[in-house]
Amino acid sequence: MNNLLAVNGLGITFAIVGAVCAALFAGIGSAKAVGFVGEAAAGVVSVDPSKFSKVLILQLLPGTQGLYGLLTAILLLSRIGVIGGSPAELTGIQGLMFLLAALPMAVVGYFSAIMQGKAAAAGVGITAKKPEHNGKGIILAAMVETYAILALLISILLIYNISI
Amino acid sequence: MSTEYASAVAAVRAMECSLLSPADIEQLIGADSAEDLNGLIESKKSAQNTLSEVWEMLRSYAPDNEELKILLYRNDFHNLKAALKSVISGRNAEDYFVYPSNFEPKLASEAFTSKDYSGLPEYMRETASEAYELLTETMDGQLSDSFIDKAALKAMISSADKCKSSFIKKYAELTAVCSDIKIAYRCALMKKSLKFAESALCGTEKLEKNTLAEASVEGTEALLSYIEEHGFEEAADTLRESPAQFEKWCDDVLIELAETTRSSPFGYEPLAAYYIAKEAEIKNIRIIKVCRESGSDKNTVMERMRKLYV
Repeated sequence: MNNLLAVNGLGITFAIVGAVCAALFAGIGSAKAVGFVGEAAAGVVSVDPSKFSKVLILQLLPGTQGLYGLLTAILLLSRIGVIGGSPAELTGIQGLMFLLAALPMAVVGYFSAIMQGKAAAAGVGITAKKPEHNGKGIILAAMVETYAILALLISILLIYNISI
Repeated sequence: MSTEYASAVAAVRAMECSLLSPADIEQLIGADSAEDLNGLIESKKSAQNTLSEVWEMLRSYAPDNEELKILLYRNDFHNLKAALKSVISGRNAEDYFVYPSNFEPKLASEAFTSKDYSGLPEYMRETASEAYELLTETMDGQLSDSFIDKAALKAMISSADKCKSSFIKKYAELTAVCSDIKIAYRCALMKKSLKFAESALCGTEKLEKNTLAEASVEGTEALLSYIEEHGFEEAADTLRESPAQFEKWCDDVLIELAETTRSSPFGYEPLAAYYIAKEAEIKNIRIIKVCRESGSDKNTVMERMRKLYV
């Protein structure tokens, strides 16, 4: 194992995999969720086009995890010097630490986006039947955001506290 | 949880806003004349939709969904009965067909004429062939009707068992229970034999065929006690009041089942629930119209109103 971690360039590779995971999984989760909330929104708009603006807000909500994933990836790449053109020389252990640092955002980002999408789709149902209660649907869906923010926070703290 | 039919469910939720509310129903019942009533119905957008239009709309949202077809089994088998009788009696069946249906009802007439049942849906081919043999041998319309009705319920239960949805399973079970109670009650009133009752009843997990038939032979009170003991107290109570109240109960339990999907943002169950709600709405409008024509008072009409989904 020690020999494996000492392989030249492996540290930076691990770190880049971490950045990729954060952007990839959070992005996939958001894309899926925005997709099915969009389907629900289109269903409502097909019957009542005047509700477009109200359901649009709900559709946008699960898109934030993709942005958090992107932010995490950029911060990580910046920290290891890939953005800027002078990559740091990382040991295998350091690289692995960066990879682990990105995982909260990757994993929680993916699942919270899907869950938020389901809550938002249910909110679209509220908007369809009782448009005056649209705000409640938004609040219920927004609650899921908390966990994506917590994951983002821990990923950022880890990325900035790993000594190079 | 699958996220299928998100668009369809959301569209249905939007359409539910235009279903008749209790206030709308009261307004219709309070109409001063038949012209006023028709005018009010015309002013309600939802009330003008036929079940065929509702079905077409639901199918456009869920074109590949096989499970929804179970909702039309009763119509399918009714059309089979109409086609069979029309072929035997030489009458035009078109006037007796009901829509929507899972297949073009004319195909049933053609199937009986040619004795080739391959054009019919698979779940009714055997029934069609056997019902034809039964009717041509016995010339007993009541017997062939009860045979087809029973086959319809069995087809429903069999299709429901194949699908994963507990909603559809419950729908098939409730439909069969209501139908069985109705048949058993009629058997009791008309003092039909045990053999006839057993041949007409479908039987479900909750109301076993043979024991229900035995109870029906013992008389109405024994039958109602049996129904009560097996968890259908309300059904027995409403039957004691009047058959009309029992019919209302049958429709109301389906609406109560439909209400269980109210909070589902995905799946085809809310689509089925909307269809059931529209059936009840159309039935309510029909009752109001008939009561208006027969001069029934408002209280009588109110008593007969089916539960609303809104």
